[in-house]
Amino acid sequence: MSRTLEGPEEELSTTRRLSNISDSVEVERPTEAKNIRPVKLSIRNFDAWYGAKRALKGINLDVIENSITAFIGPSGCGKTTLIRCLNRMHEMTPGATAKGQAILDGMNMYDAKIDPVTIKRRIGMVFQKPNPFPTMSIYDNVAAGLKLNGIKDKKLIDDVVRESLEGAALWEEVKNELNKPGMGLSGGQQQRLCIARALAMQPEILLLDEPTSALDPIASSKIEELVHGMKKDLTVVIVTHNMQQAARVSDYTAFMYLGELIEYGDTKQIFENPRMELTERYISGKFG
Amino acid sequence: MPRLMDLGISSVSENLTEMGAIAQRSLQIALDSYFQNNGLRKRVFELCEKLRSLEDEVGDIATEIVARYQPVAKDLRFIRASIEIAYIFWRSGRYSYDIVNTIEDIPLDQSCDKTAVLEMSSLVRKAMGLGLSSLRTRDETTVEKLYEMDSTVDTLYRRYLHNTINSDKHYDWRIRSRCDIRNILILRYLERISDHACYLGDCVFYLVTGMSSPRR
Repeated sequence: MSRTLEGPEEELSTTRRLSNISDSVEVERPTEAKNIRPVKLSIRNFDAWYGAKRALKGINLDVIENSITAFIGPSGCGKTTLIRCLNRMHEMTPGATAKGQAILDGMNMYDAKIDPVTIKRRIGMVFQKPNPFPTMSIYDNVAAGLKLNGIKDKKLIDDVVRESLEGAALWEEVKNELNKPGMGLSGGQQQRLCIARALAMQPEILLLDEPTSALDPIASSKIEELVHGMKKDLTVVIVTHNMQQAARVSDYTAFMYLGELIEYGDTKQIFENPRMELTERYISGKFG
Repeated sequence: MPRLMDLGISSVSENLTEMGAIAQRSLQIALDSYFQNNGLRKRVFELCEKLRSLEDEVGDIATEIVARYQPVAKDLRFIRASIEIAYIFWRSGRYSYDIVNTIEDIPLDQSCDKTAVLEMSSLVRKAMGLGLSSLRTRDETTVEKLYEMDSTVDTLYRRYLHNTINSDKHYDWRIRSRCDIRNILILRYLERISDHACYLGDCVFYLVTGMSSPRR
């Protein structure tokens, strides 16, 4: 989607652009992408806590623009916490805190002057379980974000709803029943509706937290194809427990364990020739 | 607790061990046949058929492992290398069969000099043994030695070919040509077996390091 939404825009003049990102820390970046492809998001010395429990420990990682990055690791390793930090959702959990830098196109998202709402507009998120707004129609589910942002132009909203549903590969299936409840769709369709809802806000980055774990293989396959097609327009980060899904769909893979980033590299390298023994053991099912 | 995939992997591993031993045995019989002048074509053919059947089996199991367990990392490299190694053993066996065929198709003349084949066969047997040992011990460093040996084998082959082409014109060509054709063919098959020993080293290098052999 190339069109720019008209409507109230959060004033970004207060954002501090970091012209010189510190290179003094050791940053994980996929080998193939090193110095070749632009970085969309830089995570620097990032820690997160739930109360006194440290969930992320000094994460340093660059997310490459217009690519798909998969976060893998056993339950509790911090991958969901990390992506929740990436659109400042983590801090909404009572007692949860974060420290460090997450630099989006040169702007530190964790700068005190940054309004988290601005970030959520630029970085969309789709969750494990499809969660359409239960009382809303298919159309309203997709249009909700626009309306909440004060956009009233009916023609514009119609166009965005259609483009978003097309982008989520759902348009052909629902174009004649846009006024039916979103909850009436199948699980796979509901998840694509949620993706359409996220796409309607024209995010630059889309975070997917185990988006297919509640879906059957056919629906999962559709989501994977969809995600693969999205990277030409945006940057995708996906959390998955499914090794094969990470191998199939992503360009880069990050393996996390006990809140630390263990290894980050080209997906082919991670799955064919991991550098770290821990990664090897996890992806080969030899863990524990 | 072993993984389900481990059953398939150990089955492939056992097949490769058996194939390596058969390939080595085939070469030994073919060379015995040459030096002792005894016709063992049928025996080598049987071994060659066994290699072919085992190669098919390795391919089948490897495919099943990929389909059922989606191997990654060392497992994936092992599967990929196994398919190639099985082919290498089968090809080596086939060259041994070509040697015994040549021996039986071109009858021996008593005056035929066996020195070149003797020299090269000793090297090729060592190369094959080294290749098998590197597979058994997962020693990726032997690939360099294998290529060194192969280089000597190539030199021996080219030298024999050159000497034959430029041989004495007064020699009895009726006798000489039969002997030389036979030797050149056998040297050529040995040279190919030596190449395959190098490929085996390449596979072990990839299997262990995840990278292509630097010689490739």
